[in-house]
Amino acid sequence: MEAYKSGSTHEIALLTLPDLDGGSIEQRSLEIARSWGIGGAEANNGALLLVSRDDHEMRIEVGRGLEGELTDSVSGRIIRDVISPEFKQGHFEAGMRSGLMAMHAAIGGDYGPIERTESARRRSSSTLRSVVTLLIILSLFFGSKGGRGGSNWPLWFLIGSSMGGRNRGGFGGGSSGGFSGFGGGGGFSGGGSSGGW
Amino acid sequence: MNTSSKALRLSNPRRRGVVSRGLLIGLAFVLFLGGCSALSYNGLVDKDEAIAETWSKIGVQYQRRAELIPQLVETVKGAANFEQETITAVTEARASVGKMALPSDLSEGSEELATFMKAQQQLSSSLSRLLVVAENYPVLLASQNFLALQDQLEGTANRIAVAQQDYTEKVRLYNSKVRGIPGAFIASAMGLERKTQLEFDPVTQELPKVDFSNFGDE
Repeated sequence: MEAYKSGSTHEIALLTLPDLDGGSIEQRSLEIARSWGIGGAEANNGALLLVSRDDHEMRIEVGRGLEGELTDSVSGRIIRDVISPEFKQGHFEAGMRSGLMAMHAAIGGDYGPIERTESARRRSSSTLRSVVTLLIILSLFFGSKGGRGGSNWPLWFLIGSSMGGRNRGGFGGGSSGGFSGFGGGGGFSGGGSSGGW
Repeated sequence: MNTSSKALRLSNPRRRGVVSRGLLIGLAFVLFLGGCSALSYNGLVDKDEAIAETWSKIGVQYQRRAELIPQLVETVKGAANFEQETITAVTEARASVGKMALPSDLSEGSEELATFMKAQQQLSSSLSRLLVVAENYPVLLASQNFLALQDQLEGTANRIAVAQQDYTEKVRLYNSKVRGIPGAFIASAMGLERKTQLEFDPVTQELPKVDFSNFGDE
């Protein structure tokens, strides 16, 4: 909670891919996280949750500035204990949502209040908006799997969610290029964890 | 003498103007060249520094990995009759790595480097073997302690891989500067040479994959 109050500006992005095209998930997520410039330019406090649908693989990529909070083992636990069990039951929305929540919580140093924050406080409206966006897009993504549309299915979506939200909008914050509103950080050294379901 | 040259200059102002203009142009040219060389040289130095920094990052991660191993060995020993052979292999590899400092001589054919890399590689392979074997021990897979260590080890392995990749890229950038213009002149004047790319062995451990082929059928 302290983190929100003091206006922490970390950024968490979520991306699902239909597949990895033969590459490794570590490679892809590093490329994406760096090229999007997730996290503040100085603080490098960004993280990426990457899910590859057909490969059954996922990865939490952690920016240098968050490696202290979102450690490798915390990331691993989030994948194993939070996301993976949901995915195994086919609850993809729920898995990703609670995964993101857990990541936020880990960064804020607290698991508990997140859900309450979401419903009760205006302060975290950006989180709520993120989750809503997430749900909409997820329903698009996983809802139309009947059409397994071949290769042109790279449905990229992302959430630029900035906590604290005083002067940063969730999307469209100042960025030096790239197509998103991320802070232009991108300082990733390969921290995080990978897993499957 | 003094007075006569003064008189000459005074008596020939046009000539004086030509001389000083020529001087100015010459001076500007020298300054320009100097500035370019300085910039180019500084650029090379920066790139060189970046390489050194990445190399030390690789060292930090190797170190971190080595530090995690005693804990891992302790945890694994806790599992009833864990394959002793694999433990011994890891312990020995860890011990030999522990005796070595990060090499500073990275030139081609550096023995120091070759020994270091070989020892690290030995550790990588014995370690991944141990982690694969550990998958057969449900006690370990249920242990938060073991899982956390596994995450950390995989994390360092990935960081090493990333740092190695960055290193390769930085050396490539440096070398292309050293070979290009004006870098090539500066480099030969200052005695800077191309850097050898290092051959890195893969450090990442393969995660055993669980197949849930019914995905998406429900």
